[in-house]
Amino acid sequence: MTANTEAPLRSTDLPLGEVERELSRQMEAAKQPGDSPAQRAHMSNLVIFCDRAESAAPMTAVVPAIVTIHPARILLLVGESGLGADDVRGEVSVWCQKHRGGPKVCCEQVTLHARGQAIEHLPFAVRGLLIGDLPTNVWWAASATPAFAGPFLYGLAEYAQQVIYDSIGWLEPARAVAASAAWLDRFERGPGEGRWRVVADLNWRRLKYWRRLLAQVLDPNTLPGALDSITEIVVEHGPHAVVQAWLLVSWLASRLGWQVEACRVQPGEEISWKVAVPSGVVRVCLRRLADGPAEVRHMRIACTLDGKPSALNVRVEGTHRLAALREDGSAAAWTLTTQAQPLPDLLGRQLSDRERDPVFRESMAVAQVFARPALG
Amino acid sequence: MAAETQPIRTENPLIAGMPKTLLPQPCVLVIFGAAGDLSWRKLLPALYNLNVDGVLPANFAALGFGVGCQGDGDAWIRDRARDGIVHFSRRPLDESHWADFARALSYLEGSFNDSHAYEQLKAKLDTLDQQFGTGGNRVYYLAVPPSMVDTCVTHLKSAGLVYEPGDPRAFSRVIVEKPIGRDLESARNIIATVAKAFDESQTYRIDHYLGKETVQNLLVLRFANSIFEPLWNEKHIDHVQITVAEEEGVANRIGYYDGVGALRDMVQNHLLQLVCMTAMEPPWSLEPDVVRDAKIGVLRCLRPLAPNEVEKSVVRAQYIEGDIDGEPTPGYRHEVRQFFTEVLKKPLPAESANSNTDTFVALRLYIDNWRWAGVPFYLRTGKRMPKRASEVAIQFKAVPQILFNAYPDVPLEPTVLTLRVQPEEGLSMRIASKLPGPKVRIYPVKMEFNYSSSFGGESPEAYERLLLDVMAGDATLFMRRDAVEAAWQWVVPILEHWERKRVLHIPEYQCGTWGPVEADRIIEADGREWRTL
Repeated sequence: MTANTEAPLRSTDLPLGEVERELSRQMEAAKQPGDSPAQRAHMSNLVIFCDRAESAAPMTAVVPAIVTIHPARILLLVGESGLGADDVRGEVSVWCQKHRGGPKVCCEQVTLHARGQAIEHLPFAVRGLLIGDLPTNVWWAASATPAFAGPFLYGLAEYAQQVIYDSIGWLEPARAVAASAAWLDRFERGPGEGRWRVVADLNWRRLKYWRRLLAQVLDPNTLPGALDSITEIVVEHGPHAVVQAWLLVSWLASRLGWQVEACRVQPGEEISWKVAVPSGVVRVCLRRLADGPAEVRHMRIACTLDGKPSALNVRVEGTHRLAALREDGSAAAWTLTTQAQPLPDLLGRQLSDRERDPVFRESMAVAQVFARPALG
Repeated sequence: MAAETQPIRTENPLIAGMPKTLLPQPCVLVIFGAAGDLSWRKLLPALYNLNVDGVLPANFAALGFGVGCQGDGDAWIRDRARDGIVHFSRRPLDESHWADFARALSYLEGSFNDSHAYEQLKAKLDTLDQQFGTGGNRVYYLAVPPSMVDTCVTHLKSAGLVYEPGDPRAFSRVIVEKPIGRDLESARNIIATVAKAFDESQTYRIDHYLGKETVQNLLVLRFANSIFEPLWNEKHIDHVQITVAEEEGVANRIGYYDGVGALRDMVQNHLLQLVCMTAMEPPWSLEPDVVRDAKIGVLRCLRPLAPNEVEKSVVRAQYIEGDIDGEPTPGYRHEVRQFFTEVLKKPLPAESANSNTDTFVALRLYIDNWRWAGVPFYLRTGKRMPKRASEVAIQFKAVPQILFNAYPDVPLEPTVLTLRVQPEEGLSMRIASKLPGPKVRIYPVKMEFNYSSSFGGESPEAYERLLLDVMAGDATLFMRRDAVEAAWQWVVPILEHWERKRVLHIPEYQCGTWGPVEADRIIEADGREWRTL
């Protein structure tokens, strides 16, 4: 849809039973005299769960951008702890966009507020508001890692085909990574395991350019022998991006069949592992930069190039580029244009990717192995 | 460091889970005829969009080659690309992306038939390999007239610029644009010419219609939905209509178009490819040659047209003065005259003065296999029609004349499934529904699916997908030699019949209309009518 989004129509503090009626009323109101009826565009239901009102406001702000990429019925759930009324109240907004002179195409957002015990009602409320025959996605935007969410998330995701979380900024990364890998095994459902359900981490999606570039540069046809001669990998990352860096090295380790032997943690600064590989030992180190964006910034891969010990440096350059350069300077840089990945883009595109990603699962399994010695 | 006993790894374990099209191989794309319209309108904007998407290979450069630049070649091609992006790219120009993209663009001025120019080309490509780490891999895009193909590929071969297929050092691929010949013999000549330098596995014959989302969606619609395939046959389908209508006239393509016409320019390639996608049997895998085998199965079943059948089943026509968007619009012959006198500033050749070039073709064809026995496919394409619209419409058989169809007040409209190829890619289905009220009144309703409003964002242009496929070595969406020949084999009897007839005038239609009355007669004789678009 083009960006000509009209200001949303909004109604607040509705009892649950009024929500659908109010949505229909707003859809009718969106139609100007002489217009053809506004069309609802839905690729899926998107259930967003926030555990604080402060985190719900930014979510609402990004919803128009999300539905531009992936038109959906948005159910934003705000479940706060503490005392409150024991019912769930609704708020309804409709966004309409005019697409190239065609009919108005509208998406709707239903915000449900619940406090204290009423939070338990939210999965029930969601069931009644889902549009049938469409995929359902749950975006877990609460502060707790989904692995620690307990039965509430199971209830919320009962009819979901995909649960999405973002591991950026996770506290206690080693514990969270270890728990998540085990939780993924239990939570995802494949063929023959009941209703299909997959889990996606946006932090994994953020790594796509890194993985794409590394796959091209370390290709045995491009740099023969490089992959099998790695002796050290150092990844530098910005604050809050340790899990992203962790995922990146876990991916490499899983693809190359590395085994973790030992770990050393300098809290807040560095985590390093000794890893056994067929040719000997590789040192893997994640190093936190004092400032900068929350992302992997630089990776140094020490290996043999053209028969000589050397290294590859892969780094973020500016806002739109990832470049890999041999340390011996003997060849041109490999570069990949990258796109900024704001949350609505990441989420909007992830909503359409409903396949199980075995490479992610294998990487998480290795990430869990990396976490064990870190947890002591 | 690798232990001596360790086997040398040749497979790349890091590409697991990555789609092939997102793993294009490092290469230099050499655009022959980079000064032309295709490069400006389509190729350079497509490359820019691929670059913005971050899907071009990490080692990539594009080199324009040909004549037509003024001054500094690199600066010129960058200006040309920038202008093309501003005018035709689906994404607006973004300065931060542009700088990165422009860095990989360069130009070499040289004549296609000058051996020295190919030596310079080789030297330039070696430099680009050093600069961009492209490892000697080449994709040659021949955006040149068919008459130049021989010259280009012969020089490429003799200059040592083509690797054998399977050479472990590097790959060479060639993209050949339409028209591939003007009849079967000339098509075979072009195919043989290209084959002197490039193996079939290195040759990518492009038909941009196959890169369009809706066309690819035809396979998904048919083979990923259980309701359609059981109905996709002569038992349930009454007929199929394929329309490719253009609002534009011939414009600056007259030099090429006059004497070629719509049958060669559109039917032999685009429309017959749409027929193949609509009518093919399910391929047993998505491997390029399996899909292409399924498509050629359709072409081989096309019922040949004997001369008397051509008379009854094919209509050609030419546009005359009319009206488009409220503006008086000149006819084809006027445009030809204008082109010669004002653009070329040459006297009008006798054969063009009363040109009988077809700007419109409508025809009926049959596919003689079990699935399609007796189902007519009606095809029409034309220039200067009321609007730009391309679609494939599947009209299902009418319900029995009992119940609602026994004595209807208004005849029941049949169910139609329509796939729109352009301008708004999508599909719709017309079904009968009861109007609210105590009386049983039946009204046709249309269920719509629109790519951009349903999925959000803009679909990639066909050239983006196709260029990426070539860089990844995926030939699924490209025409194989046997398909080109089979299409010509079916079309040539029509051309030969027209040639034999040598009429002074072919039917005419006014600009801004849906074609001549003769086209209506083809379909009305069968008790059907052209769809209103």
